Amino acid sequence: MIAWMKSYPDFKRNPLVLIVIALISAIPLFFMAIFAAEGMLIHGLIGAMVSTISFIGVSAAIQDISWDRYVKIREMIVAMPVHPASYAMGTALAPFLLSLPSLVFFGAIASLWGFLNVTTTIWTIVSLVMAWAAMSAIGFIISTYLYKASPWLLNNISNLLGLGLIFIPPVYYPETLLGGLSWISVILPTSNVAGLIRYYLGLLPLTPETVIVRWLILIATTVTFVVLTSLKAKWRET
Amino acid sequence: MSEAVKSLDLVKVYYSKERVEALKGVNISIGKGELFTLLGPNGAGKTTFLRIISTQLLPTKGDATVLGYSVVEQPEKVREHIAVVPQDVATYGNYTPWEYAYYFARLRGMSSRTARLAADKALKSVDLAQLKERTCSTLSGGEKKRAIIASALASDTDVLMLDEPTSGLDAVARRGVWSALRDMVEKGKTILLTTHMMEEAEMVSDRLAIINKGNVVAEGRPDEIKSLAKEKYRVVVSGHFDKLSNYGEVTKLGDRYIVYVKTENEALELLKTTLKMGLRAEASPITLEDVFVKLVGGINNENH
Repeated sequence: MIAWMKSYPDFKRNPLVLIVIALISAIPLFFMAIFAAEGMLIHGLIGAMVSTISFIGVSAAIQDISWDRYVKIREMIVAMPVHPASYAMGTALAPFLLSLPSLVFFGAIASLWGFLNVTTTIWTIVSLVMAWAAMSAIGFIISTYLYKASPWLLNNISNLLGLGLIFIPPVYYPETLLGGLSWISVILPTSNVAGLIRYYLGLLPLTPETVIVRWLILIATTVTFVVLTSLKAKWRET
Repeated sequence: MSEAVKSLDLVKVYYSKERVEALKGVNISIGKGELFTLLGPNGAGKTTFLRIISTQLLPTKGDATVLGYSVVEQPEKVREHIAVVPQDVATYGNYTPWEYAYYFARLRGMSSRTARLAADKALKSVDLAQLKERTCSTLSGGEKKRAIIASALASDTDVLMLDEPTSGLDAVARRGVWSALRDMVEKGKTILLTTHMMEEAEMVSDRLAIINKGNVVAEGRPDEIKSLAKEKYRVVVSGHFDKLSNYGEVTKLGDRYIVYVKTENEALELLKTTLKMGLRAEASPITLEDVFVKLVGGINNENH
């Protein structure tokens, strides 16, 4: 219900938001189509999918504090029989719902290009869901530890995270281009997921052990952020 | 009348840059079906009290019960029975008043059908049924406030808590909110309201408490509170003459003077004297504001 009330009215009254979400992630594709080498566009498309779900995951929690602080919906909900975990899940799910049309669009293009079948589609979806979970967890960490920060500071942090986690690391381009530094892609959830999707689509050769390690790192990162958030977050103020 | 809300030696201390004791052992009892107002100046502890009672904030010491459930030990049980409208609440522009009410009813676990009915009923009770499909960004300040109140009403809880619900509203919009609140009381709801507006407290409350610097300084019906003052009338004199303070306690408001007198005859006598001297004067019964100012201090006396 919280996910619905935080997404549906926005979509209903401002459907352009869906195009904006898709366009922000698709901008690098435009430049890649002009300047990048042949065969790089599919890497960019994978980056666009990861970017759509990641950027929105972080902004969800950040938006939660600056937006809800102003309209005080959360204050009203705290005094209601709503579990804090439900509230957090709804807050994270709302932008996920808004990003779905963009993901379907990018997925359809990948499918038209012949990269998606049933198995690769399932693995791509699972990887993207994990990216959403990890990035939402990062967003909640920020919103919890910077509870009193101004909306302007939070907005800047959100933009910096976008640069640091999405546009700089190998999300839109394959990690093999980094040569000896390709291990960096495993550390960040965004590039880790992009690498995993490339592996499932047959664009990045990885050993089964490496894939398992990458999944474990991704899960561990997410769990760590969730635990850190739950240690600090308070539903009722003291 | 049995109790809906009862606070027991409620203490709240904030530790930020310095230690601030917001509540210093507050004991308040609110009966079921009563509209109870917490009246106090800014920073008196009204919002802190309401936030503790509504389970948003933990007290430093003491406890309170809502319909018998402890706000400290049983917040989940308390939350089933309350709805809150926070201070300075803003509306989300993309919601319609109907969506506000419907979503909050759904969050309470109501089925879609029940929530729809509850939303319609709540909007009707705050006179917003005609505007239910308009987005909040297009509503006036009073309509927005009523939309939020409707979201609390749609929850159909036994106890409503509203933190300065009419602040920033014009007189007409304020009366619309008051009317909605009194309708709720008529239907058996208990309402806890905070305000710093005397007229509001006097107009809507069944009972009220005046809170100042974390202490309750008076509690009772508006007429009981007013009877706490030994002077029963006030005469506002536009101008000054030497023997003005012989008539009673004088408060200076720039070039005007409020003289508090004990009887109607004393008020009439003062009126005659001032009129003879060519000054303007107006007499009326003492107001809640007069008593409030006396109780919380801040009178600029000009006595003997």
